Amino acid sequence: MEKTKAPSKIGLFIFDPGGGLARAVDLGTVVQKLIKMKNVSRCEVIADIWSGFLVSVKEDLKAGNLNRLLWVGRFSPYQEKIIKAELSAEGLNPYLHEWCDVEEQGVGKEGPDRAVQTQKVMMLVQMAVGRARLIEALEPVSLPAVDAVLIIGAGVAGLHAASSLVKLGKRVYLVEKESGVGGKVASLHRLYPRICDPRCGLEFEIEKLRGSNKLELHTLSRVKGLDGGPRNFEVKIEKAPRYVSEERCNGCGKCAEVCPVTIPDDSTSHLPQNPHQSGKKAIHSPTPMAFPSAFVVERRYCPPQCRECVKACPTNSVDLEQTPSDMTLRAGAIIATTGWDPYPLSKVEEYGYGLYPNVISNLEAERLLENPPELKEVGFIQCAGSRDEKHLNYCSSVCCSVSLKQALSLKERLPNSRFSIFYQDIRTPGFDEELYQRVKSLDKVIFIRGLPSTVKPDGENGRLKIRAEDTLSGKEVTLSLDLLVLAGGMAPSGGTGEIAELFNLPRNNFGFFESHLQCHPEESQRAGIYVGGACRGPMNVGQSIESTHRAMVEALQFIDGTFLVEPTHPLVDKTKCDKCKRCMEDCPFSAYYFDSEGFPTPDLARCRQCGNCMGTCPLTAISLRHFTIKQTAAQIQAIKVSSLPKEEPVILAFLCKNDAYHAAREAADSDAVIPANVFFIKVPCAGSVNNALLADALSFGIDGILIAGCKDGQCHSVRGNQLVKTRSGDLADKLKKMMIEPERVRFEHLEIRDSGRYVELVNSYMRDLKAMGPNPFKV
Amino acid sequence: MPPKVDREKCDGCKAEKESLCEQVCPGDLMHLGEDQKAFCRMPRDCWDCMSCIKACPKGALETRIPYQLGYHVARLIPMMGTNTITWTCIDLNGKVERYQYRNRGSDD
Ligand SMILES: Cc1cc2nc3c(=O)[nH]c(=O)nc-3n(C[C@H](O)[C@H](O)[C@H](O)COP(=O)(O)OP(=O)(O)OC[C@H]3O[C@@H](n4cnc5c(N)ncnc54)[C@H](O)[C@@H]3O)c2cc1C
Ligand code: SF4
Ligand code: SF4
Ligand code: SF4
Ligand code: SF4
Repeated sequence: MEKTKAPSKIGLFIFDPGGGLARAVDLGTVVQKLIKMKNVSRCEVIADIWSGFLVSVKEDLKAGNLNRLLWVGRFSPYQEKIIKAELSAEGLNPYLHEWCDVEEQGVGKEGPDRAVQTQKVMMLVQMAVGRARLIEALEPVSLPAVDAVLIIGAGVAGLHAASSLVKLGKRVYLVEKESGVGGKVASLHRLYPRICDPRCGLEFEIEKLRGSNKLELHTLSRVKGLDGGPRNFEVKIEKAPRYVSEERCNGCGKCAEVCPVTIPDDSTSHLPQNPHQSGKKAIHSPTPMAFPSAFVVERRYCPPQCRECVKACPTNSVDLEQTPSDMTLRAGAIIATTGWDPYPLSKVEEYGYGLYPNVISNLEAERLLENPPELKEVGFIQCAGSRDEKHLNYCSSVCCSVSLKQALSLKERLPNSRFSIFYQDIRTPGFDEELYQRVKSLDKVIFIRGLPSTVKPDGENGRLKIRAEDTLSGKEVTLSLDLLVLAGGMAPSGGTGEIAELFNLPRNNFGFFESHLQCHPEESQRAGIYVGGACRGPMNVGQSIESTHRAMVEALQFIDGTFLVEPTHPLVDKTKCDKCKRCMEDCPFSAYYFDSEGFPTPDLARCRQCGNCMGTCPLTAISLRHFTIKQTAAQIQAIKVSSLPKEEPVILAFLCKNDAYHAAREAADSDAVIPANVFFIKVPCAGSVNNALLADALSFGIDGILIAGCKDGQCHSVRGNQLVKTRSGDLADKLKKMMIEPERVRFEHLEIRDSGRYVELVNSYMRDLKAMGPNPFKV
Repeated sequence: MPPKVDREKCDGCKAEKESLCEQVCPGDLMHLGEDQKAFCRMPRDCWDCMSCIKACPKGALETRIPYQLGYHVARLIPMMGTNTITWTCIDLNGKVERYQYRNRGSDD
């Protein structure tokens, strides 16, 4: 990293577009003094950056008269960007600019003494020059992208994406909250349009996945957090205990034979002929489909002392003491295929769902199709909960075809029964029309245009009485039914909401993932994260599979190539480090590992550049690049305490850039007067401040040191605030032994909105320090 | 006189094999006890070189000034900056003297 050490030649420009600074500060004197400073090669006041100014800077750069630039005053982020871009064309590295906004330090207001303000500006710029001398050209680091895709949700959409990726030789993490894969489709009886067994198609994909060493499947798992960015996501997942070893269990089922507890099967509990039990035991094969094949225990149903399965298992696979486990998965891209949930039909009160056992949802009806009981009169109500502003204000798009499919299947088994379908419109887009024509041609299948107003019990015989107006004929229709199927709609799934919240992904008005439906339907609006299947909106199986492949293709670009890390990462000086490991202990993101010689080395893909390692190292062996200990020490050393009146205390503040700094900046922009002798340094995290810097400051005669970080629980580096609080507390204790007031080192919490408190804080600290008298190290 | 260890403050350098004071002691006198707190194994061999005191990141060590220099209650306390050391010297009458040095020969 050490470049050839050409002497620093600093171009120093004081930006005063409106002349405001000149009114408050004697800029002439400032320029005169600064131009004499070592390493300052050019110094002037500028009113704008155009009209030939940048051209002249370019010439100086080209001629080698300048090699770094110090910009004093307030530049907008836009101006900073322009300046960097213009000059980088001339070969000036963007890290060779130093920015010194004197206004945010409280200078530039009319009112306070001109001489005092002039002195403060001098001091601030000298500090900046001290730092600017040491800044270096830096290039971003390029790291290889993580070559895996993480898919959330193993429904039909997730499974197909996984199997296609694996086929391309890509690594896949598939995360599913249930004990097995397959999603909703696995519980369907037949799939329209071809009226085939859905398990057949799913099994085909599962077989491909079973044999692949590229797939890592995590069932019973939920996502708990997301870190990193595109090409380098870190996803935290929590795995609930399965109580059966996935490696050892061979699925023989001997455990279930002895298990004394039969549990309700959620998917069939509503069916009229269902005894609410399906023979499913507390230990059972994974649902909906047995991938992985290892059994699973629903522990909440187990009698406390029962160990029957443990005893019966020939492979010793059952472990009833298992606990949840956490893990972090790294992936270059993420695909969410979190699917849909059935709309809760009990909310559509007029149809009596939940009140009468023979009112069932279309999803429950799927279970009836195989083996229906004797039914003479069956009704279907379309759009139950859909296309209704009180419920789902959209068309669920599959339920017309679903009811037609179900009527067709039932009719095959019950040829003499009568089917009445109440509808608003029959929506069978594309080839589904064929299904409609087929069902229409059947005997005793009646389509009634109009939705029933009431569903009531028909006397005591357990049948249902249903009344509706046929809007085509204008006649009232009254029917007595054995079974009523509500064509319930597709609502966004709870799992979709969970992920949207965790990943901060926008959702549309209806609660599905937001995407640009015409052009980029697969984009989640966050780079590297894609969405596919019914978590994007109602769609059928074919559409789900198609959409998920689009997501998959886009995801591919993020698992190849490289990604860039800002060059402002920590660097460990091995000549200084004696492997005490505190950096490793204290890094809030566990980014350190040992290199081959046993030195701590930050994993740059994980590192958040918070600087806590720099703050903690007792040997000052670690520095964030562009924010090195030496640069900051030079800044501190430039505060010439001796040139300020001895009675006036001097405060040096270290402000966390995330919150405290913004509070101070806002305070400076308000009417409040900031005491002249307060100088602050913006730091990446309060925890990045090393005690050696505090010792420097105290030994140079600074009277009080303020470190301001976020409140507990709000620290952007998890616990950087607590780490620095403890460390600076240790130093304060030492001061006490040295017969120096420990209050000369203070840690405070400041939130982003605390600008008023910041002003109070520095003023009251000033008063306290005045009462204490000068720092004994002041000369 | 050998260093005194503030057992509240010493964190045993977080259970490292060799604590910082141990690494730095020229006579290899500092050690971690069973309780993961540092102690001086052979107090009579201590040279009062102050190396451990300067090295301890927790401020857990304090020297006891040898009787040749000052009686009990007299103290000598270093504070390490990035490139500076200050010394605070408190004699048995409570008189305080302070010295500030910039280190030379550092890797500038
Ligand atoms: C009654 C009915 C019948 C239907 N019949 C047909 C038909 O015959 N033909 C047809 O083409 N379509 C049919 N459909 C539509 C079909 O069900 C959907 O198209 C399909 O289920 C969409 O699949 P998916 O993978 O996107 O979602 P899902 O099947 O909902 O799968 C989502 C998966 O993600 C998991 N998951 C969700 N959130 C999380 C999370 N946060 N973390 C981990 N895992 C999570 C879920 O457990 C689930 O396994 C029917 C729909 C209904 C309502
Ligand atoms: S847990 Fe044991 S008994 Fe049960 S299916 Fe697996 S191997 Fe068979
Ligand atoms: S900068 Fe922060 S995240 Fe990076 S290694 Fe240091 S402590 Fe860890
Ligand atoms: S804290 Fe400093 S001395 Fe200790 S291991 Fe880390 S880099 Fe080395
Ligand atoms: S250096 Fe300090 S904290 Fe570490 S073991 Fe020695 S006395 Fe304890």
